[in-house]
Amino acid sequence: MDQKLEGTPKATLRLAERAVTRSEVSNDWGTRLQWSISRDGKQIAIVGAGLDLTFEHPDTTPGKYEIVLQQFHYVNYKKDKEGQFAESKYINVSEPVAYTI
Amino acid sequence: MLHIGNQYLPLCSGGTRRSFLQVGAAAMAGLSLPNWLTLQAAGAIDEKKAKIRNCITLFLVGSPGHLDTWDMKPDAPEDIRGKFKPISTSVPGVQICEHFPRMARVMDKVALIRSLHYSTGASHENGQRWMMTGHDFNAANKQPHMGSVISRLYGSKGDLPASILLPTAIGNTGTTTPHGQESAYLGSAHQPFILGSDPALANFKVADLEAPGGQSELRVEARRKLLQEIDDVQRQVETSSTLERDTAYARAFNLLTSPQTKKAFDLNEESPKLRDRYGRNTFGQSCLMARRLIERGTRFVTVNQFDTVFGISCWDMHADGGSLNNTYADYEHVLCPQFDLAFTALLEDLQQRGMLEETVIAVISEFGRTPKINAKGGRDHYPSAWTNFLAGGPIGGGRVIGSTDKIGAAPHDRPVEPPQVVASIYQAMGIDLETTMLPGPGNRPIRLIDAEPIRELFS
Repeated sequence: MDQKLEGTPKATLRLAERAVTRSEVSNDWGTRLQWSISRDGKQIAIVGAGLDLTFEHPDTTPGKYEIVLQQFHYVNYKKDKEGQFAESKYINVSEPVAYTI
Repeated sequence: MLHIGNQYLPLCSGGTRRSFLQVGAAAMAGLSLPNWLTLQAAGAIDEKKAKIRNCITLFLVGSPGHLDTWDMKPDAPEDIRGKFKPISTSVPGVQICEHFPRMARVMDKVALIRSLHYSTGASHENGQRWMMTGHDFNAANKQPHMGSVISRLYGSKGDLPASILLPTAIGNTGTTTPHGQESAYLGSAHQPFILGSDPALANFKVADLEAPGGQSELRVEARRKLLQEIDDVQRQVETSSTLERDTAYARAFNLLTSPQTKKAFDLNEESPKLRDRYGRNTFGQSCLMARRLIERGTRFVTVNQFDTVFGISCWDMHADGGSLNNTYADYEHVLCPQFDLAFTALLEDLQQRGMLEETVIAVISEFGRTPKINAKGGRDHYPSAWTNFLAGGPIGGGRVIGSTDKIGAAPHDRPVEPPQVVASIYQAMGIDLETTMLPGPGNRPIRLIDAEPIRELFS
């Protein structure tokens, strides 16, 4: 019996200057949470979302930044040649927030 | 007092122990020991008044590698220390894996046993039997699960079974030998009740608690009465199997017809926020259900985190490229976060409800994993050293019992064997291992476990 993750996890984000504060995740699957950070449309960093609900990305390179919370959606255990999940992936569980430096 | 005598009982390690069996002469006047034990076995003890603590066992099927979880060796060579980094915890000097940040905050409630080991076969089933019965495998003398022992000695506190397995029994983990989760010679009346379905799913229902298709509860009750009338006729010749079957039927009907017992399994009575806190997955919701069942009278709940090791994401990190292709990715993205969330939710929930002092939590698994990472980037079975842990009840938290060598290959000090963990669980539940005997095979009284509890857990 493999676990089946149902429902849709959701969190809301609040932006104060460059600091992003997330709510608790509803329908939390319990899998890993991470922040995905993009600048000018290109992903530049992934940071594990620790226990602190507030996150501030340290990069101050000029550009338009967008941050979103993601959670790992496990669908099956299949792996690629590098031992990474082949079909299970991270999905966005919040709306993105954006700021410009 | 009447001393029945000294009995020299061999231990698994080959040593012996003298035990005294004392019987109050005034109470037992005129009774022989076998008759006294028969009375005890037949329930002369008022089971509903038996005051022992409860136990929730979380069995991490597949078995996490100790070097990647709770006994990290950051100074070891790269092909031994693995990918993950240790983090500090609420206990100075104690570090655990970075992927257990919540657990790191509550280590003051947890007692780690880092020097577990055994020397018999490295199959999953062998480890399961060792850790859930306290005994090695003997096909001619199968041993009962801890929960079955509790059921036999202390019975149920109410309509719920004394011992329950969530969410389902362990199935295929490699061999066809028993998994140590059966009642063995204690009889079918003391088999654990198995939930048999996934409490995390929206369409969850307990199949065995639903009236058979097309039958109303009135018809079920009518059938029960008819069965009882038939049994009354047969009762003129009572045998142990009849009594045993009666207990099993009574239990089954209670489960099927009692609104209270059905409610015990209804997670919709819990707030969505609490269900989220445990994690909306099979393991998390099973831990939440375990708390509910203990709260409502079950004495011993076992949560099997998985029911197999093949074709699913689980701790069995062989990285074999086939049906055992679990890798560091499973630990990082799925297993460690889900365990961290559920285990700490259970601890906090029990504490907030005032239940932690009366509930022993045992987190156990089959073995450790090979110190040297294999050619495919995984680790294989390794019973020579691993870490399990206990919390709750009288277990002293914030401590580490034993240690392993520099590469986690063998106990360095205070080696601990599985029977000692089982003895510790029994002691933590409040059972006096010196005086409490179990009706063994052929109704011979036997000790619950031939081992001493780990004293450092209780000091």
